[in-house]
Amino acid sequence: MTELNEVTNEFIRGEIDEFVERPEERERMISMFAACRPDMLDIGAALIEGEDGVVDELTRAQLDAGTEALEVMDDGLIAGMALVGIKFRENFIFVPEVLACARAMKAGMAHIEPILSDAGIEPVGKVVMGTVKGDLHDIGKNLCIMMLRGAGFEVIDLGVDTSPDDFIDAVEEHRPLVMGMSALLTTTMPNMGKTIDAFVDADLREAVKIMVGGAPVTPEFAEDMGADGYGKDAMECVAIAKQLVGVGSGA
Amino acid sequence: MTSAQETMTSRERVLAALNGDPVDRTPVVNPTSIATVELMDMVDAPFPDANREPELMARLAECGHTELGFDSVMPVFSIIQDSSALGCKIQWEQKDNWPTVKMTEPIYDSADDIEYDIEALLAHPDTQCVTEAIRILRDRLGDDVAVIGKTMGPWSLAYHTFGVEPFLLLSLDDPEKTKEVLQRLKRITIDFGVMQVEAGADALTLPDHATGDLVSGEYYHRYLEELHQEFAEAIPAPLILHICGRTVDRMPYIANTGMAAFHYDSKNDPAESMEAVGGRIRLVGNVNNPETLFARGPEEVRAEVIQNLEAGVQMVGPECACPLQTPLENLRAIPETVREWHAIQESE
Repeated sequence: MTELNEVTNEFIRGEIDEFVERPEERERMISMFAACRPDMLDIGAALIEGEDGVVDELTRAQLDAGTEALEVMDDGLIAGMALVGIKFRENFIFVPEVLACARAMKAGMAHIEPILSDAGIEPVGKVVMGTVKGDLHDIGKNLCIMMLRGAGFEVIDLGVDTSPDDFIDAVEEHRPLVMGMSALLTTTMPNMGKTIDAFVDADLREAVKIMVGGAPVTPEFAEDMGADGYGKDAMECVAIAKQLVGVGSGA
Repeated sequence: MTSAQETMTSRERVLAALNGDPVDRTPVVNPTSIATVELMDMVDAPFPDANREPELMARLAECGHTELGFDSVMPVFSIIQDSSALGCKIQWEQKDNWPTVKMTEPIYDSADDIEYDIEALLAHPDTQCVTEAIRILRDRLGDDVAVIGKTMGPWSLAYHTFGVEPFLLLSLDDPEKTKEVLQRLKRITIDFGVMQVEAGADALTLPDHATGDLVSGEYYHRYLEELHQEFAEAIPAPLILHICGRTVDRMPYIANTGMAAFHYDSKNDPAESMEAVGGRIRLVGNVNNPETLFARGPEEVRAEVIQNLEAGVQMVGPECACPLQTPLENLRAIPETVREWHAIQESE
């Protein structure tokens, strides 16, 4: 078993020690960060602190020095975000802090995405995402999209206030494996069910796996509506999407 | 099942509960909205017009008492009237959807951008609609039913005017600027609230969405507790703070505000919530909307109402604005259950 002192970055050691409480998760975090090079840990640490300027600078410097874009993304940005996800899930941090970390991740991904795209790396899968009809809140959806893209998915963002017809049109056009719907309001949650019903009516329900999420949405509500998956937060969204496309969750 | 002897009017009951005085039975209150499409059709007062025309607004609100048996009426169905008057772009929607502020098109970028003419804002048709509807309701219902108005808190107004994401990032990046934003917006909360009280509102709901789904309890303490104390002193009517989501971690702070009541969400256990506020503020709530009132039946509604009554929650109602397709029999089950429960208590 890997020991905490094998993680070479003092800040990340402290974060694991203070915030990762579940034994199996702690073991996984220690083992993951212990396997990362110190330069990657510096990027991860800056991301966890929400320092977008530092992440931007370090990412660019690493890529200029010849480090593989995938290593920077996996061992720096995504590893850092995994710890952020745990802190968020356990209520050690809240949405403003997560937004700052997401901003930092975006700063790093701005350098990495063009390289991956030029290299022709195949996406893990394609996902269509939108906030349901009548709901103009998109923070949760945007965090999910960022994490999905970071995990290698191609994501088509339909934005906010997406009608059932717009979801259907997007699924017919893009043929994604997964469609994600988000709602922040209890008043708009029923529109998730209406959208799923519209897929049934259009004889398209079997064409796509549907996952749902949003602050007021619960697993029971998701099941009642006939959704294929429910994610409590952006980290779970990635895990569910991977399950639905048939690759290991890894989260 | 016979009802317990009722000795108070609905209005007396609500006001007594808000004041912490004895009541003949627990009041059934709707601090946010119980408007539904079925009620709109029943009285020919559909959205979006019922959010913009005083007579339609009053007619739809009145149904809360006449058709559903609640002890209060609430004409401000949405949370956008003051933001519309402030200049936010509004998506008014149709009968089966709520009007919403287009927060992806914010009107402010920084605290320095916040400039408004308060007189013009209060004279705007969308704020005047509210005060006129309150006057109509007061006139029609007399002293029998509690009329509750609504004025948005500065945290919610900041979401509407800056966009949720930019404002939450500002709150982390620059706490002093964030406080300045709240200071600059607070006059809208106070003056719109006072205008509704002068028009005849008995109490006001004050939504200020520092929800546990977005920010910490510490945030509430840092940014809002003192401001909410200021509102409780400045507005001459009982205030009902409304914050969605899990809020137990901030309830002890909320209990310090001097507001009359806190309208709480079904994510919070009634008994745990009562313990958290320690008798320093009354609770209103917390029947679940999407899973219970919208999707289940009267029996499930009854179970949640009784859970609140047994915990000693002082006023019972839905946790938030209920979905527009909520079955009326589920909403009616709330007052029915309260009466039945009190009858049983009395007989024992």
